[in-house]
Amino acid sequence: MERCVCHGNPLSKPSRREFLTVGAAGAMGFVLGDLLRLESLQAATNPAGPAPKAKSLLHIYLPGGMAHQESFDPKPYAPLEYRGSFGTVKTKLPGEVFCEVWHETAAIADKLCIVRSMSHGEAAHERGTHNMFTGYRPSPALQFPSLGSIVSHELGSRADLPAYVCVPNMPNPYAGTGYLSSSYGPFSLGSDPANGGFKVRDLALPGGVDANRFTRRRTALDAVNSHFESIEKADSIAAMDTFYQQAYSLISSQKAREAFNLNAEPAAIRDEYGRNEAGSRLLMARRLVAAGVRVVSVTYGGWDFHKQIVQETKKTVPSLDKAFSALIRDLDRTGLLDSTIVMLSSEFGRTPKINADAGRDHWPRVFSIALAGGGIARGKIVGSSNATAAEPDSEELGPADLFATLYSQMGIDYTKRLMSPGNRPIDIVREGKVRPILLG
Amino acid sequence: MSQSILASFLFLAVAASAHAATARLDIYPNDVQLRTNFARQRMVVVATRPDGVTEDVTAKAKISLADGRIARIENSTVYPTADGQTKLQAQYDGQTAMTNMDVQNFAAARPIGFRTDVMPVFMRAGCNTGACHGSARGKDGFRLSLFGFDPEGDHFRLTRELGYRRINLAQPEESLLVQKSIGAVPHTGGKRFDATSEYAKTLLDWLQAGAPNDASNVPTVESVDIFPRELLLEGAGVKQQMIARAHYSDGSQRDVTNLAVFYSNNDNSAAVSPDGVVTAANRGEAFILARFNTKTVGSQALVLPAGLNYAPPTVPPANYIDELVNAKLQKLRILPSDICSDSVFLRRATIDITGVLPSDEEYRGFLDDKAADKRAKLVDRLLSQKAFAEIWAMKWAELLKVKSNLQASYKSIYLYANWLTEQIANNVPLNQIVRQLLASRGGTFSTPPTNFYQVENDTLKTSENVAQVFMGVRVQCAQCHNHPFDRWTMDDYYSFAAFFSQIGRKEGEDYRETIVFNSGGGEVNHPIGGRAMPPKFLGGAMADCNGKDRRQVLADWLTAPDNPFFAPSVANRVWAHFFGVGIVEPVDDIRVSNPASNPELLQRLGRKLVEYNYDFKRLVRDICLSQTYQRVTQTTASNEADQRNFAHGRVRRIQAEMLRDCVSEVTETKDKFRGLPLGARAVQIADGSTSDYFLETFGRSPRETVCACDVRSEPTLSQALHLLNGDTVQAKIRDGHLVPRLLAEKKSPEEIVKILYVRTLSRDPDAAELAALKKMLEGQPKPVEALEDIFWGLLNSREFCFNH
Repeated sequence: MERCVCHGNPLSKPSRREFLTVGAAGAMGFVLGDLLRLESLQAATNPAGPAPKAKSLLHIYLPGGMAHQESFDPKPYAPLEYRGSFGTVKTKLPGEVFCEVWHETAAIADKLCIVRSMSHGEAAHERGTHNMFTGYRPSPALQFPSLGSIVSHELGSRADLPAYVCVPNMPNPYAGTGYLSSSYGPFSLGSDPANGGFKVRDLALPGGVDANRFTRRRTALDAVNSHFESIEKADSIAAMDTFYQQAYSLISSQKAREAFNLNAEPAAIRDEYGRNEAGSRLLMARRLVAAGVRVVSVTYGGWDFHKQIVQETKKTVPSLDKAFSALIRDLDRTGLLDSTIVMLSSEFGRTPKINADAGRDHWPRVFSIALAGGGIARGKIVGSSNATAAEPDSEELGPADLFATLYSQMGIDYTKRLMSPGNRPIDIVREGKVRPILLG
Repeated sequence: MSQSILASFLFLAVAASAHAATARLDIYPNDVQLRTNFARQRMVVVATRPDGVTEDVTAKAKISLADGRIARIENSTVYPTADGQTKLQAQYDGQTAMTNMDVQNFAAARPIGFRTDVMPVFMRAGCNTGACHGSARGKDGFRLSLFGFDPEGDHFRLTRELGYRRINLAQPEESLLVQKSIGAVPHTGGKRFDATSEYAKTLLDWLQAGAPNDASNVPTVESVDIFPRELLLEGAGVKQQMIARAHYSDGSQRDVTNLAVFYSNNDNSAAVSPDGVVTAANRGEAFILARFNTKTVGSQALVLPAGLNYAPPTVPPANYIDELVNAKLQKLRILPSDICSDSVFLRRATIDITGVLPSDEEYRGFLDDKAADKRAKLVDRLLSQKAFAEIWAMKWAELLKVKSNLQASYKSIYLYANWLTEQIANNVPLNQIVRQLLASRGGTFSTPPTNFYQVENDTLKTSENVAQVFMGVRVQCAQCHNHPFDRWTMDDYYSFAAFFSQIGRKEGEDYRETIVFNSGGGEVNHPIGGRAMPPKFLGGAMADCNGKDRRQVLADWLTAPDNPFFAPSVANRVWAHFFGVGIVEPVDDIRVSNPASNPELLQRLGRKLVEYNYDFKRLVRDICLSQTYQRVTQTTASNEADQRNFAHGRVRRIQAEMLRDCVSEVTETKDKFRGLPLGARAVQIADGSTSDYFLETFGRSPRETVCACDVRSEPTLSQALHLLNGDTVQAKIRDGHLVPRLLAEKKSPEEIVKILYVRTLSRDPDAAELAALKKMLEGQPKPVEALEDIFWGLLNSREFCFNH
């Protein structure tokens, strides 16, 4: 046993397996009803709190550390070596400005909640990334699960789709399952939606194999597996089982598979997002969220600008600015923003002062993130940093509080304890609390 | 009345001691030396029962001095009262423990020191941690170096910044330094210690002495001891006091129990208080660490529930591996699982040693063999195959980042990989291979090992990689500050990097070739103060590099038989391949705070490797013939929670390349990879940039870092989808024509099912399986399709993908 298998998810897989082996329309009705019933039960996982505001979370992760000065927290009145050489742009929020490269996002700031007082103490990439994916400080004794895996564990999947998807790939080891079973791991698209001819592989049955033949194959497979599973117990085997069940769901649902088909989007929408890495990935993520994926984690760019921050920012930001603002507008237009939390974040910010190489170094003491939707406040700036963007000035927000707020919005009881190896119960969030100021 | 109470008390005491007789008594620390009037030493007395359980009996034991004039004992602490030597004795439960004590200059006063006395207070009270004043920008306007890596700078900031506020020599007790720490004025970090505590007194004494900096010859800490070294605690709530003692460069020693920082790596089993009191909780293992100055040391603490029924197993061990593994299991009161069957062993060993599956003939031959030593013969036969060398060449290529890119041309990487495979195939001792890599000079075409310096050309990175790959040590943290969880300082880091500061590189005649040479010049400078760091072995002495290639000097040191890092870390990697988890895990993160689960085993394997002249094949033989390797994966009631002590076999997903090769082998299909002939195996792929969807999906190492964690084995949805719908299984069954060929040979469908089972799973189908599959075959006009679907089912089965 590699890790403990925690059956925290009442959408337990055997019912799906039975459904698939029966595989008829009559059974389908039963199972769907069952699923709905379970989903409504699931809503009660946080009995103390209100009904969940958010059904899904779309996380845009910018690896390397996005400078808060060159995004949502410019300091136009700081000395030159602090403020850098970008100007500012007025946002939709009275009196608030962003760095000028984010002008399209500035125009939709009335739909966002910008946090300017995010803060933690880890200045190394891997440690900071750990904080911002798990809500925990790294521990030598334990690997913590990512937000996506916790949601997958707590809420299970919807609409025959995986609960947690990474676009295009799992960005780092901390996006994984930690001490939870690997069954709660993400599904990686495996190729970049920005590539010409992009297609998620292996979703449909191969040519020459029809439903009948597939059923026969599965009968053979089940015969072999049942022998092995009667004698071997291991988390990795259980996880593989779960993934086979998920695969059967995907294979049998044309609707679920369609979520991965970027070509189904009208040309106008594709153009609005931009036909590039940022645009294609965010649009893909929106399709997945709309179809029922609980957590989509999109990775974009490399933001570790130790040198030449002006040039690098000009290279990296504009396509994201366009895609991100298009995403928010699109979600808002279709009404999905009410049930979808969008979070744009990085592992940390960057140093207050421009360094000798015209770049900025790692800075976790204070940095900015952007949130939107799913019951998060609309059109609000939360917290502030001091005059040189070096320390939080008000409403300091740590990863634990951020995660507590996100989980709570999704209807997950973040005070619950999950079992880690050695029967050691671990809080979903340790010493965190919901921050009402973030909520609308 | 009172007499009867006393009598019953005596009776209880006798009963208790009879229940838990003491087999051994120890008093810690040994050889106490007390110098100057600062000196004192806290003592602990530990009773060990015949079954190994330890108990802190300091309060119950009678501690006395042979010569009572030399010292006085108060609260189990000895204070010097006269110069001289004597014996310190503890008596408990009929046992006696004794240690020497030596007191000199007991009346002499030692001046207070900044580094010796004040800096440790900052560490103990948590002032200089990253969350507080140790942050790179300090906290609330006051900065200390992180974990005290820069004492000179700390002294400067304390005494020269902020005029008379931070320290006030006229009225020392009014200094903010004191006022803030005792909580007399508001302090973001709160009250750190009492105004009456020893820590406050130290700060005041130093201020009263004029806040002096130290003279240049102040003794430095050479090592730290922690006592007791091993704890076996029985029952939740049981306590044990720990002691930390420092040794200084002037030969003196000091009780630092009140200055060291104690922490546990597993609070769930044993937590430790700031004062060093360990409290047992749930069954399990913990490592209790003490950090003082830049040194971290640890003790192993095992926790057992009270009243456990346990009878040790009686099966004699097969070799030294079993002896050491069993000894640890016995301490944990865990019973190992049984030895696996022949068919399980055949499959397990064949996959682990050669990366392929046993053939039908091998399967029948092995099962029919009646020889008692047939497992040993099998292991020897497998070890002699080329495939064994290829797997290890691949594993080393992963660590050495053998991958072509813009800097390293395909040709030179191809030559590099071939060189590596050749060395391992020719059984060149590992230390020689590493020596050739590290000391290499010449062109990347003509002398392939020089590619080691082409795939990475950053000096600091190169030195980090050498430490991680060949020593299993991660020193990265020490680039910016002293390693918080290990012994490495910034000085260690930069003086180790100095070995790689004189590498010259130039373009060869062919522009794709790089010539690596010894430039003879260039230094690594310490970021604090900018001094050039002389080369010094990591955890070792200064190196004499005069007139020599520094890399050669390093290579000789690293691969010498007495090197404490190389052999154990390599042995650990070899071990991890066969058990899915290292004795130290992760295998390349050996540090004080990440201890080996079985340190004796790790050391013994290292020594064996040296004894075998670095021929790791012989080590593999020992491993595969141990009972420990041959245990079934099914657990018993006592060992089901065990993850790290090898009490049972471990189910492991077969690594990407080998899984790919197994699929090709059983379907009789051939693969084509760049640079290799048709039919080559995936483990033979030389260049890390050559890959395909199957290999990437199943977690092939991208060879971008030297981390062993780059090889991934956790299952994913993509893997399931690919096996179900992808072009690997489906196409290979079709292209291999195995089922039509067997039908043409007039084999019955049932015979074919059996053949497929043996090929893929190395076993015969059981009755239930056969019945279920026969039903599928009944009345099939085209048995080919049905049989191929059964083949498909076998290749998609968990049993096929996992080694068990």
